[in-house]
Amino acid sequence: MKLTFKGGIHPGEHKNTAKCPIKLYTNPEKVSIPLSQHIGAPCEPLVKKGDEVYAGQKIGDVPEGALGAPVHASVSGKVEKIEVLPDLRGNQIKHVVIANDYKNTVDPSIAPFPKKLSEATPEEIIGVVREAGIVGMGGAGFPAHAKIASAIGKATTVIVNCCECEPFLTCNYRLMIERPTEIVNGAKIVMRALGNARVIVAIEDNKPLAIKKMEALAEKNPSFSVVALKTKYPQGDERRLIYALTGKELPRGKLPADLGCVIFNAETLSAIYNAFAKGLPSIYRTVTVDGNCVASPSNVLVPIGASVGDVVEFCGGLSFLPDKLINGGPMMGNAMWSADLPVTKTTSGILIFSEEFTEMREESNCIRCGRCIKACPSGLAPCYMVASIKIKNYEEAEKFNVMNCVECGSCAFGCPAAIPLVQYFKLAKSEIKNKARAKK
Amino acid sequence: MKKTDRNQSAPDLNTEFDVGEEFESDVEAALTEEIEHGSRYDFPELLKVSSGPHIKSPISTSSIMLDVVIALIPAYAWGVLVFGMRALVLGVISVASCVLFEYLFQKITGRANTVRDLSAVVTGMLLAMNLTVGTPYWLPVFGAFFAIVVVKGLFGGIGKNIVNPALAARAFLFIAWPNEMKVFTDAGVKFGVFSSPGADITASATPLTVLSAGDVPQNSIFDLFIGNVGGCIGEVSALFLIIGGVYLLVRRVISWQTPVAYIAVVALAGLIFPRIPGDGVQSMLTEVLSGGVIFCAIFMATDYATTPVAPWGKVIFGVGCGVITVLIRYFGAYAEGASFSILIMNLLVWYIDKLTLPKPFGGGADVKK
Repeated sequence: MKLTFKGGIHPGEHKNTAKCPIKLYTNPEKVSIPLSQHIGAPCEPLVKKGDEVYAGQKIGDVPEGALGAPVHASVSGKVEKIEVLPDLRGNQIKHVVIANDYKNTVDPSIAPFPKKLSEATPEEIIGVVREAGIVGMGGAGFPAHAKIASAIGKATTVIVNCCECEPFLTCNYRLMIERPTEIVNGAKIVMRALGNARVIVAIEDNKPLAIKKMEALAEKNPSFSVVALKTKYPQGDERRLIYALTGKELPRGKLPADLGCVIFNAETLSAIYNAFAKGLPSIYRTVTVDGNCVASPSNVLVPIGASVGDVVEFCGGLSFLPDKLINGGPMMGNAMWSADLPVTKTTSGILIFSEEFTEMREESNCIRCGRCIKACPSGLAPCYMVASIKIKNYEEAEKFNVMNCVECGSCAFGCPAAIPLVQYFKLAKSEIKNKARAKK
Repeated sequence: MKKTDRNQSAPDLNTEFDVGEEFESDVEAALTEEIEHGSRYDFPELLKVSSGPHIKSPISTSSIMLDVVIALIPAYAWGVLVFGMRALVLGVISVASCVLFEYLFQKITGRANTVRDLSAVVTGMLLAMNLTVGTPYWLPVFGAFFAIVVVKGLFGGIGKNIVNPALAARAFLFIAWPNEMKVFTDAGVKFGVFSSPGADITASATPLTVLSAGDVPQNSIFDLFIGNVGGCIGEVSALFLIIGGVYLLVRRVISWQTPVAYIAVVALAGLIFPRIPGDGVQSMLTEVLSGGVIFCAIFMATDYATTPVAPWGKVIFGVGCGVITVLIRYFGAYAEGASFSILIMNLLVWYIDKLTLPKPFGGGADVKK
């Protein structure tokens, strides 16, 4: 029996870029760096128009004590302007626009952590991770230092999330193939901060080469183990991952640390390693650029703030007229209205599809086939929730536990009536939250 | 949106050869760049935005209904083989009137046209398969009206009906025209297209009416299994119905719980309380293989709209159908019971669902506090 979870779906994997080595993209004409790329308070700018900045220089930080992570310049050059623009979700966010001087002058203050890992205290490690502005790079964007801090004394297991269950995305896979030591070393740094913890590297079984690479490295470390999980979406979701590995169900409103686990995405760990060993802040990330409109699909190491359009141009441009541009994976990613939006710390994929791929069928009546119930990894009844939401009975939807929905889209993927279930659930969740807020 | 900014190329050649504005090399330069760089398009100013997921499985309501039609064909073909061409004509009339009523109802009520989802075709086939070959040609038209307009359309269309349209229509026809509906004929006595029911078709007993009368049916189990007996057009051949059922299981259109639970209960009752004195096995097989239990278990008790959605609910539904079928057969005035058992269970679906929906992962809403 392969380790897995209940429910879920198996969409086509489309890992077209699995054999594309990570290419480095260094010279966008300018970068537009959002000052909020994480969960928590937005950053305040530390630079102003006309300032010369180094690559890696801190240009924004959150107020003292607030949850968040600082942001850094990803290229050297001149601050052209600081403008307020809508981000991917439509929130108005300040962006620092830097014109690239193509010199890539690195901030002189960047240096490796002065002590050996075995001599570093947890507080020092948390400080390094915080100053590097590292956030969860799998998509959630939770500040990594806060995650480590909250797990100290509670978590005894570090789970390295290498599932990459979203179709099309291969950036984590390439990282495991090309720079596996960074992931392992990053995990060691987290282990050091937590005291003695064991590490489980969780990989879906459709990546045998990555499993081999990570196993070879794990052999040298007795506290490491590599676990192959059944390839099924959404295996990379943290609740499903903990269940597959430990058999425990994490209730809503609880953190993985409450079950003794702390989960890091592979790339986050690699960023932690680079911050510790080289002093590098989080200014680059790997992005899978794919979709039928991209001339040459690739994995690219992109400076944060480079526009999606520039990255696509770097990948040979467009070969078909695009209809939809997706930030992230095709299941949970966000559709972008414009290619001028920047790549952020949480952009794992840029997928561009033409109309024949994104064409939506008209929504028809629910035929009660029960496919959504079988597919729901959260054990919910999407068809009943949607029936309540359609008549605006949000209390009823709440009784069906719509708030437990993680918006993975497994239900909507297989719905024969083409009901946009996730959209209804997002609506209901925001209505319920607004009502709760109004009560207070 | 094609890139149009190609004005820099070949400016001097124009004067030299004097070929006017639309000089060919401009097009050629664009072509060369297309071939060399592949970048032929720009992003449109605004792209389409929608909530995820952005990919979708190809499965649709019509693809599911098409699978059901395919699964029904073997059993129907067998019906035509043993009862004659008249059985086929009844089917064509039934399907055509179902589709027509669906179209007219939606046209008149101003609703979106859903004829293309093929559900009316399925209802039409199921209705015809529930009739005997001796049924007059005009009868399925009334059945189709009742199924499509009264049972389905007036309740809100596909997915909203409370009871199974084809079975409700059959029950309606049974009560409205009992004499026309009860004419069962022997297998192998074929009826042509123009045979008239009153004159040419003579009624004969089915295994269940014999059992019900307290006698022992003379049909062999093999005849019952392949369908060499009298009965409704589509329900006689267990073999071809099971082939259709396996197809639906493989295509994941239906799940196994309801048919297995239903048939198991009828079989167990036949084994433990045999109506053929002293022969439990014979009794069990006769009960299961006759009177449309297999047909109803595979194709009627698995109708999405009118049955439970969760796995355990499907088991409860199947058991309930089995128990009611047995009660009607053993104690009722009516020899069969499969169709009425499903109609009764249809009414309980909401309560069964309420009991059996899965538990939320990590607990429900109250866990948080």
